[in-house]
Amino acid sequence: MSTTAVPTRTAPFDLRRLLHLREAGVFAALVLLFVLGAIVSPSFLQSSNLLSVGQQVAQIGIMAIGATFVIVNGEIDLSVGSTYALAAISTGMAITAGVPWVLAILIGLGVGVLAGLVNGLAVVLLGVPSFIVTLGSLSVFRGVTLLISNGAPISLSADTPGVADFTLLGQGKLFGAIPMQLIFFAIVAAIGILVLSRSRLGFNTYAVGGNPEAARLVGINVRAVKLSAFVISGLTAAISGVLGLSFLSYVQGVTGTGLELTVISAVIIGGAALFGGSGTMWGTIIGVFFIGLLQNILNIKGISSFWQTVVTGLVIVVAVAADTWQRRRKTRA
Amino acid sequence: MSTPPSLAIRVEHLSRSFGPVRALEDVSFDITAGEVTALLGENGAGKSTLLKILAGLQPPSEGGVTVFGDTVTAFEPSTMLGRHGVAIVPQELALLPDRSVAENILSGIEPGGRAFPSRRQMRARAVALLAELKLDIDPDASVRGLDLATQQLVVVARSIARNCRVLILDEPTSVLTPAESERLFELMGRLKAQGTTLIYVSHRMPEVFQLADRIEVLRDGRHVGSWRRDEVTPEQAVAAMVGRELDRFSSRAEQRAGTPRSAATPALRVADLSGPRHESVTFNVAPGEIVGVAGLPDSGRVEMLQNVFGAIRSRGGTVELGGAAYTARTPIASVEHRLGYVPGERRAQGLLTTMTVAENIGVLTVKALTRVGLVRRGEFTGRARELATRLRVKTASSDTPIVNLSGGNQQKAMIARWISIDPRALLLDEPTRGVDVGAKAEIYEQLFALAETGVGILCSSSDLPELLTITDRIVVMAQGRVVDVVDTRTATEESIMTAATGAVDHTSAA
Repeated sequence: MSTTAVPTRTAPFDLRRLLHLREAGVFAALVLLFVLGAIVSPSFLQSSNLLSVGQQVAQIGIMAIGATFVIVNGEIDLSVGSTYALAAISTGMAITAGVPWVLAILIGLGVGVLAGLVNGLAVVLLGVPSFIVTLGSLSVFRGVTLLISNGAPISLSADTPGVADFTLLGQGKLFGAIPMQLIFFAIVAAIGILVLSRSRLGFNTYAVGGNPEAARLVGINVRAVKLSAFVISGLTAAISGVLGLSFLSYVQGVTGTGLELTVISAVIIGGAALFGGSGTMWGTIIGVFFIGLLQNILNIKGISSFWQTVVTGLVIVVAVAADTWQRRRKTRA
Repeated sequence: MSTPPSLAIRVEHLSRSFGPVRALEDVSFDITAGEVTALLGENGAGKSTLLKILAGLQPPSEGGVTVFGDTVTAFEPSTMLGRHGVAIVPQELALLPDRSVAENILSGIEPGGRAFPSRRQMRARAVALLAELKLDIDPDASVRGLDLATQQLVVVARSIARNCRVLILDEPTSVLTPAESERLFELMGRLKAQGTTLIYVSHRMPEVFQLADRIEVLRDGRHVGSWRRDEVTPEQAVAAMVGRELDRFSSRAEQRAGTPRSAATPALRVADLSGPRHESVTFNVAPGEIVGVAGLPDSGRVEMLQNVFGAIRSRGGTVELGGAAYTARTPIASVEHRLGYVPGERRAQGLLTTMTVAENIGVLTVKALTRVGLVRRGEFTGRARELATRLRVKTASSDTPIVNLSGGNQQKAMIARWISIDPRALLLDEPTRGVDVGAKAEIYEQLFALAETGVGILCSSSDLPELLTITDRIVVMAQGRVVDVVDTRTATEESIMTAATGAVDHTSAA
């Protein structure tokens, strides 16, 4: 305390510091879960099983990357499940109507960006809390999805030109083993890490999330930062929706219902606080895999999906409780 | 040291560690019943930790506390208040904003049934208590509408309603005007007369020497001084707090006596500026000049500063920076124009609360250090660290969360932030609020150094001795208008207060 010089932290990956991070706890839990999986089932460790986990978490993971921007901003986006369906239906209808598949994808992503823009503008211009805005748009986007599809499911027929190429995005495997969806998740995650931890937008996101008034008074465009987060969230939801369509060749109006809860759970388990200003992309990625592994183990053991829902809910509460406990212990130590 | 029967609290070998940090180390002293004990120390000296232990908000790591002969076994707020009768008036008042004064005073100890308290009895009890304390507060008013000073008095009444025998006041006057402080002191006097033991923390020496019977000093977690008031001088007490003799700070006006005022274009010219709670405000700040703004809290001086910076909507008037008109003012444009603002509400408006010291200092350099969207981290941290060293921000590392720093070091970081963009003019509101004596002197030196480089500084403060020490001229505001502009060399606290309270109105002295 008595020295005036500010010491340098030399090693970029100081192990001790790493262990103090909030993510360390979740990561330890993830490792524990992994060991548990290996013990309860011999098939768990097979690469085919692990890759299938990767396949299953990819869509949730991509959405969670976008949701992290919103949550670090101190906001919430409940509409991602509906945006997912809206983008998938838009792309599906375009392909069925004979639009080239690349253009159809761009239409789907554009719809996602538009949905994010609507959410973001309502939050920053009307000053309505994002919980309310996106609770509304969750319903509106879902309704629009049902309206434009007339409630009928869309099945991509292999005869339609371009469908074979399009479905490769979701069903294909790199080197015949690594699911394409996992590759897309890795790409989106890499961009997410770079933007949140290294870019000016990322810096401003933490500033705005931690203290919007202080951020405003140092000349940060708070509205632009919040708007960007909702647009990113809409875009990632749309990317997932398009991948979902490609994976199943099928989408209907109610697809993706309730996805927002899994997505937000992953971000929260990964250590971001709903108050904003804290959380990291790595934490989110760990949270995504934690949920994925948990469901996989329950699946392997043949536990009903009803129980899976119960367990996931309990894990969220336990994760946040453990974090609170750890933080309190730190201040008392 | 005095011994029972008049012993209220005995603190024995109290220690408290936070990880490797020793916040309190082997502190022992007695607090005599019915006396006012002032607890002094710089920020980080361990005062808050000691108070938190006494209020039951934190257990000690070692040592013990005895209250009126009873050894404290459970350090919990309910036990300390319910069983031992020790209550605290914290700096952050925790009241129920949407409930009435009466409900706040008696919440938790409502008369009548527990589930359905009697409103009539409650109001009667509150009225009786307020009358007993001679407090003129409407028991039916909702707390949200009360000013901070009155809210504080409500918290005191709430503690008395719970029959507290020892009342701890944590820097109660740091947010009060002199008149409001007087009102609190009168109340403290009445409580003392009724036999309540008071423990009181303040940075303001004149107050301490007016109120306290005993003075206890902490430094770096240790108990370094203990006197009766008449055994010690303010200089000795301050010396014990900071661990060295503080040179009496010669005022800037004295130092600069005879220096001709710069005839250059003003760094900042404000003309006819109007906005919320201020009307046609006009003044200049020359390059290298430090101009103070004095006035009561409702004088509109804070709003005026915010208007100049562009943080709130203006209703008219002009602002010029270095002779060039600055219109369409916003915080974003002010940063581009190199006009800085250090807000008075540090926690609410200054700190980026979830970020590190380096990030708080460097926030204004982010834009310049961004290449293709990415911030150059190495250069960013390097510059922030340089500024932290220059302003003597004491921190374990540049990666330390800003909220872990003491008030003085946080404030130095807030000033360092604006130095990073080489400001032409700097606006400050309450630059040393919640800052200890040592850091205060350092902040003054930094402001002088900044003025030396030609920056025009406008500094609003409710601390008149501070304005008299650091400024060249003082603009006095009352009810939104400039009522006087005085040369600091000829000004006194009394002359400023007279103008600020509206007793005299003359705008000719400029």
